[in-house]
Amino acid sequence: MKILFYGRVGDMVGREARVERPSEPATVRELRQVLAEMHPHASEELMKPSLRACVGDTLVGEDFRVADAETVEFFPPLSGG
Amino acid sequence: MRGRTRLAGSPFDPAEELSSFLQALTDAGAIVSFVGVARPQSGGGTAVERMFLDHHPRLTQQSLDEVADAASARFDVGAVRVVHRFGEILPGEPIVFVAAASRHRRAAFEAADYMMDRLKTDAVFWKREDAVDGSRWIEPTEADRADRARWSE
Repeated sequence: MKILFYGRVGDMVGREARVERPSEPATVRELRQVLAEMHPHASEELMKPSLRACVGDTLVGEDFRVADAETVEFFPPLSGG
Repeated sequence: MRGRTRLAGSPFDPAEELSSFLQALTDAGAIVSFVGVARPQSGGGTAVERMFLDHHPRLTQQSLDEVADAASARFDVGAVRVVHRFGEILPGEPIVFVAAASRHRRAAFEAADYMMDRLKTDAVFWKREDAVDGSRWIEPTEADRADRARWSE
């Protein structure tokens, strides 16, 4: 599955990552752990609650199941325009 | 009337935007416009080399549309326009243009003011300032949040 990163976290780990499709149950929370292990220098940034997950253009919570998602996006706090 | 917006990946000319906005109007007596320009200095006073506005392929456009639509619904305006850059922006370049047209000026001033306060906090962008002493990602200021709160019901 594809992971997209925006803003500051995108600068730190790259704009796009691919992870193996996890087996159920796999939540956003668990996906974050996997990503933090892949990118230990950015683990603090990846574990911040202010970094929100977005699936299908909708913000989702930590318990959201991602196993069927094509793409999961991660948004830091908006800067605004 | 539905608001109209444009996300621009390359520099735009505010004078051209205003001119085409004016030409499309039918019965407006009052037109207010605003241009936001990239400042040459960061908040800390160091020289800025460039600004990078990261955006989302769909949600950023949606956020501009939502601001324009909300302004059209809330104020007695006949037309509004929002043009917003994304990508690399150099000091002195326009970042955002908003305009509002109404029969009388109060609604036009308020709609333009409202759209800018909304855009400063709710537009889906991540802004990085590249200064001579390093890069930093920007968050809305307390003043921006207070301005946004002015418009809450």
